[in-house]
Amino acid sequence: MSTATQTNITNAESKEWWWVAERERSPRLDYLRKAVWKKGAIGGNYAPGIKVNLERAQLFTESWKENEHDPIMLRKAKALAHYLENKTIFITDQAQLVGYVGTLPNTLEWYPEGASIVNEEVYNEQSVIPEPEKESLELIAEINDYWSGQTAIDKLGRVLDPEDIVKFMSGVIGWGSPTSAYGYSGKDYEYILTGKRGFEDILDDIDANIEAVEKETKGMPGPDILPLYDKLLNWEAMQIILDAVIDYANRYARLAKIIAENFETDPKRRKELLQIAETCERIPAQAPRNLQESFQLDLFIQVIARAEAYEGAWPGRPDYYHGPFYDKDVNIDKRLTKDEALDLVGEFMIRAHEVGMFGPRWTREGLQGITGTWVWTLGGVNQDGTDACNDLTVAFLQAARLVRVSNPTFGFRWHPEVKDEVMRECFECLRHGLGYPSMRNDPVLVENTMYWYGHPIEEARTWVHQACMSPCPTTKHGFQPMRMASATANTVKMVEYALSDGYDRVVSMQMGPKTGDPRNFKDFEELFQAWVQQMEWLMKILVRTVNLGRVKDPEFFGRPFLSAISERSVESGLDAVSPEGERGNCWVTFFTWVENADSLAAVKKLVFDEKKYTMDQLMTALEANWEGYEEMRLDFVRNAPKWGNDDDYVDEIMVRCLREVARHGKEIKCPSGNNWPALPENVSGNIHYASLVGALPNGRRLGDALYDGGISPGPGLDKKGPTAVLKSCAKIDHVKDGRAFLLNQRMSPTQLNGDKGYTMWKSYMKSWADLGLDHVQFNMVDDTTLRSAQKDPEKYQELIVRVAGYSAHFVDISRKTQDNIIQRTVVGL
Amino acid sequence: MTTCSECTSFFPFEDDDSCGDCVQRVVDPRQAYHKARPVDADNDASKCPNFNKK
Repeated sequence: MSTATQTNITNAESKEWWWVAERERSPRLDYLRKAVWKKGAIGGNYAPGIKVNLERAQLFTESWKENEHDPIMLRKAKALAHYLENKTIFITDQAQLVGYVGTLPNTLEWYPEGASIVNEEVYNEQSVIPEPEKESLELIAEINDYWSGQTAIDKLGRVLDPEDIVKFMSGVIGWGSPTSAYGYSGKDYEYILTGKRGFEDILDDIDANIEAVEKETKGMPGPDILPLYDKLLNWEAMQIILDAVIDYANRYARLAKIIAENFETDPKRRKELLQIAETCERIPAQAPRNLQESFQLDLFIQVIARAEAYEGAWPGRPDYYHGPFYDKDVNIDKRLTKDEALDLVGEFMIRAHEVGMFGPRWTREGLQGITGTWVWTLGGVNQDGTDACNDLTVAFLQAARLVRVSNPTFGFRWHPEVKDEVMRECFECLRHGLGYPSMRNDPVLVENTMYWYGHPIEEARTWVHQACMSPCPTTKHGFQPMRMASATANTVKMVEYALSDGYDRVVSMQMGPKTGDPRNFKDFEELFQAWVQQMEWLMKILVRTVNLGRVKDPEFFGRPFLSAISERSVESGLDAVSPEGERGNCWVTFFTWVENADSLAAVKKLVFDEKKYTMDQLMTALEANWEGYEEMRLDFVRNAPKWGNDDDYVDEIMVRCLREVARHGKEIKCPSGNNWPALPENVSGNIHYASLVGALPNGRRLGDALYDGGISPGPGLDKKGPTAVLKSCAKIDHVKDGRAFLLNQRMSPTQLNGDKGYTMWKSYMKSWADLGLDHVQFNMVDDTTLRSAQKDPEKYQELIVRVAGYSAHFVDISRKTQDNIIQRTVVGL
Repeated sequence: MTTCSECTSFFPFEDDDSCGDCVQRVVDPRQAYHKARPVDADNDASKCPNFNKK
């Protein structure tokens, strides 16, 4: 899209950028974009026509039963191979990239070996049951009966502390399942995606390892050789799955040839189909040679990883790893024109967008509108510190404006050497209302990555967004194979429990430690120390559970494919999820965080400093959910200081809380012995938890939406403008006080129009960078457009907004979340 | 008995013609595509709604 075209766009159109996208994109991208079956749940419910895929459940279980005497990794490799060999595959008209997680384009993948609690949801989710319904339900019931009691989560539940598991799974303090079955994984991209090797090369490495180890197992008896027998079986599992994936790719090659030779009449399309066939005969067996092959390798890796497990995030750095192939094809060999390359880039995004997996209701409500957090990382630096932005960085930012998907989104690694041309492309995406890229401060986050975990600088510089926010290296010892962020805390419970002696009035259960009757607190210090105890308890119970889940995962779940594409596993013969060889990169995700500071500040000011109310009066009002105390409630809303206004009174409390958390984050350790810093962000947990958090001293009532998260001020509570927000946030040390800090900002699309708008935004970004913040993301959609979309959703199907660490189509999120976004302050620069 | 091998949708494997792919054209509400799944050549196809004799 040329700059001239952009400037000719009328103001009316600028509010409805999707029409511009439709006009500007190629017919191929237009077809493929509209061909996608929407898999993200609409306000928690799947769209009509979306069905759960029963082939995997049936084929996987069939093989699982046949191989009951095999150890888990081998058994799983055989079950996956059986599925890949027999599943239905398809090639969409006009597509150049192939591979899908389910079977047909409207299907959601389902993993019956993961969790019985999810299996029951599949059975009861009537809208996703394929026709004929009666037969499908009988099959699901039979599969559920078989797996009942032996899923990964069922097995974990038997070894966890009973009290911990009840509290963890209560749904009020944490958000996650401590298993690979429902999580995500980072990838060792430095091993598999640098164009140096294909799966046949890995098979050669494994053959060599087996040969070497077999010499030892046939040699001198002793304790050293005993672990080798298990490793031999693990390597066999890796061989099985790598061969199966090569065969799976060949199935696409064969189908493409059959279509070309028997069905296709258009010579141009026939040529494309034969190109797909050539690509899939080579990939993933051998290393890629061009952009299409490089994208195809990446896509196969992602698809198979999701055949193996529910992966709800997609850590990736596509401009960095595919950039050299773009350069070769477009600039050096002239094999592709820029427009042809843009088609491939756009399709790669669409292939990611269409992925669907059956998610339990709590994930559908917490991630409204999307399947998972596909936050792809762009920009940043090379391992030597030089600018890593390339022509493909620009192509991705341009393709995003053409395909306008809500998933994947981008997080852009800003650093001082980023060229103006690239910054302008980032800005154009924001101005087009995509809500992405989020802007990340690369120097701060590289330093943070080294500070918390000791990653060497060259490895820290490879970082990608592990999910929404947290940086993680893509290296042999740095990549993280399991979602340790299942230690996700509903942190507002810290202050709620400090004011309830640890008792949860919503679920009527003693959750946290008994820290004393708050009516007897004589000063703020007593309240604060109670808060510290509740904070430590909450972090500990989540981390204990996830740590155990991690070390038991190879025994209860098993990841042969992830292992086979990870250098440390290929080398060691261990499951990739084994903590051995991983440096550690854990964090506790802090949902609903800022309410802690605002609530503590409100009590300090109105109860202990000004003595306007007693603790007894406050507790009585909170226990009544503020009912009958509206005047008092409004006093706590209006006259207590609020975070985000550069007010030291509340900002110092925020920083003090974070320093306590950081201290504790160094006391608790992951299975690799490394730290657990906090990472405040929310996805749409602020809505999910609205009915699970009681009344608070910031004036919030049970059922009210919580703040939108991270370190963002409460919606409408930042009264002093954007600079004051930045100044409050800058009081936090973004290296030492935590892992990363999400900041939502809304800006006026009218004010930021054109070159003048870009100059203003750049000036804002300079302040942001100078103040050392690590993250900021923007919504640039005005209230009028959002309210029009609420009234007439059919006309605004393509309107995208930034929810939290992800974007979503506005019409796909619940009314409560929509209102919450509208309530956010539009800041003027 | 009518078998898959007699159908126009059946494409035998090059190295083993006792099996092959059942390839079908599908046009759903959003997109058109070709799908394939492996079948045995001598599968009973008498009840297959998509059977089309060669």
